[in-house]
Amino acid sequence: MRGRFRASCLAGLLACTAAAAAQPRVAVDGEGLSPAEQAATRELVAAAMARLPPRIADGLGREVALRWRDDLPEQVHGRARNGRIGLDRRLLAGWMARDPADDRDPGTRIALATLLHELAHVFDRSPAGGLSRDPRLLDLAGWPVRPLRLGLRTGRNDFRDRSPDPYELASPAEFLAVNLEHFLLDPEYACRRPDLHRYFVARLGTPPSARGADCDGALPLVAAGNEGAGLQLLAVDPARVAGVDYLLAEADASPMSRWGHGMLRLVVCAPGRAPGPDCRLDLEHHLVLSFRAFVDEVQVSNWRGLTGGYPSRLFVLPLARVVDEYTRVELRGLRSVPLRLAPEEVARLLERAARVHWSYDGRYRFVGNNCAVEAWKLLNDALPGRDGPRLRSITPSGLLRRLERAGIADASVLDDEAEALRLGHRFDSLSRHFGGMYAVASAELGLPARDADAWLRLDPAVRGEWLERGGLRATAALLVLEEAALRQEQARARETLRRRYRRGGDGDGRIQALLQALWSDGAGAGRPAALLPGSGYGLPQDDERGLLAARVPDTDARLRAAQAGLYDAALAWLPERQRGRLRATEENLERIGERLRALAATAPD
Amino acid sequence: MKRLLLAAALLACTAPAFAGSFAGTTGGATSAGTSASSGSSSGDDKLVLAARDDAALFVASDGAIRGARLEAALRQLRERDAAAREASDLDLARAILARR
Repeated sequence: MRGRFRASCLAGLLACTAAAAAQPRVAVDGEGLSPAEQAATRELVAAAMARLPPRIADGLGREVALRWRDDLPEQVHGRARNGRIGLDRRLLAGWMARDPADDRDPGTRIALATLLHELAHVFDRSPAGGLSRDPRLLDLAGWPVRPLRLGLRTGRNDFRDRSPDPYELASPAEFLAVNLEHFLLDPEYACRRPDLHRYFVARLGTPPSARGADCDGALPLVAAGNEGAGLQLLAVDPARVAGVDYLLAEADASPMSRWGHGMLRLVVCAPGRAPGPDCRLDLEHHLVLSFRAFVDEVQVSNWRGLTGGYPSRLFVLPLARVVDEYTRVELRGLRSVPLRLAPEEVARLLERAARVHWSYDGRYRFVGNNCAVEAWKLLNDALPGRDGPRLRSITPSGLLRRLERAGIADASVLDDEAEALRLGHRFDSLSRHFGGMYAVASAELGLPARDADAWLRLDPAVRGEWLERGGLRATAALLVLEEAALRQEQARARETLRRRYRRGGDGDGRIQALLQALWSDGAGAGRPAALLPGSGYGLPQDDERGLLAARVPDTDARLRAAQAGLYDAALAWLPERQRGRLRATEENLERIGERLRALAATAPD
Repeated sequence: MKRLLLAAALLACTAPAFAGSFAGTTGGATSAGTSASSGSSSGDDKLVLAARDDAALFVASDGAIRGARLEAALRQLRERDAAAREASDLDLARAILARR
């Protein structure tokens, strides 16, 4: 591209200047320049002008004066003031020494990028410009409107990871200039920042030198493993996602979950299944996007939660894991309400989620930047046609109500409770069934406890005496209850360990070390950029995907090893009595399992 | 297998539910009595194993409580196995309960 262009320039400098003259001219201040330097500067200007989409070139307005300067501060390559552009003179030498055949030549790249950057500033300040004040660009760039602040935007941009140039975060004007450099020069921009690329094409037109970008449609995501600590690398093709649900974890009494938790569920179809309603039950392929605080300490601090002391990150989790976490461990129900989105909107939402996943490292604020605010931002930024400001809410259930009112969320799927349960629009807290299960088992066996809660509190050995006497129904009911008993023992064990740990840490620091290992590797789940230090920007492309394919399994193995070690250390650290209860409950479950198998083998029908 | 994720326990490891607690992330707390540990379970079996709680509720409630995981497992068993297509939901739920 560059080679051909330069050749045509040399062949007819006149032609080039004529073309440039048709557009607003960049007038080169030739003072102190040799003829060769003047010619090279004109080539640079022509090369830059050839890259500009007509809307920028036309918008530049009056003549722009260009001068080489040697008085710019260190680190500053260029400056644009009052329609005059000054460029660091050292760039000229690099430009003149460039290899014309190599358009990735650093000398070529930096001089051209710097000039385009400054032209972007001139354009932005012109009457035709103003993009850096466009609310849509500010949303995409990462200066969102803050809730409860009368529409004021944040002063800080938290899309820090995998930036092409951290200077873009300095201000919206610099964001625009840096991104236009890449939009105009980098053929991979469309694949690395597809949301911004689409915005610039819509506002400015396709850059003349654009090559058809051939992006891999599948988005790379680093998700939590299916169980325990662990990571997995996924490639999610938006065309394989049949829909998106708003997934609400119902509130419970603890102070931090009084408002519930809002997430998005991706209804990913099983391989081979055509996207459609049948994908609803491909539960093992569904994913959950969940904004969470990354808590790297044993005790959650309310203060840190209120004041932005924890990072807020977008985690990608297998649905099965989320269902377990809420319905079995926290004993909270889930509601999954489909959003009425066109396939194109689903694709935009995923694309935006991928950008957040790879670049965003925000601060969690219990009120001002919680999961509901983050989820709203994601929807608002991805779906500009959906009147985002009207949907904004600082509570997860409030966001759902507004989505319903706007006709986006279809809560009618919850009307028929049994059907909602069958199709996975509801996942009940297991605790909802404890009473019923106990009644079933007790009706057959005459169990000794007053109710389910009392049964669960019994010594596991006492419960154990009743486990091998029932028929299929009673034994199935006892299975549900015994699992609940195990989770209660686990919760008590966690509480004991946490208290012990806070009182004095562990003697030899082993647990501390394992925790640190988990936290540092575990960070990859919410901040995957940590897995690709120092490589390209935006969404990972071919080479980086190769690196990820090697690194994610390594990190996954380290996490699993650390977790196994922590498990052993923690178990050894428990008081003997608690360890005994845990073991006895596990043994009870084994016995129920055996009993169920024996009953199934002799089942009458 | 580490059915008891004490590890996830002490901490909120990879994906702590801030809004939650240290519930830990017990994706691995697969149903008890199963040896999901065997490591031999294929991706397809995973769906069936994950349906064990739902199957227990279904059997114990005599078919009244019918969760999505059971529904998904039933569909999968019938998509794959002609004999399963003939069997009743309750039969299949019992078979899921009997799996190890």
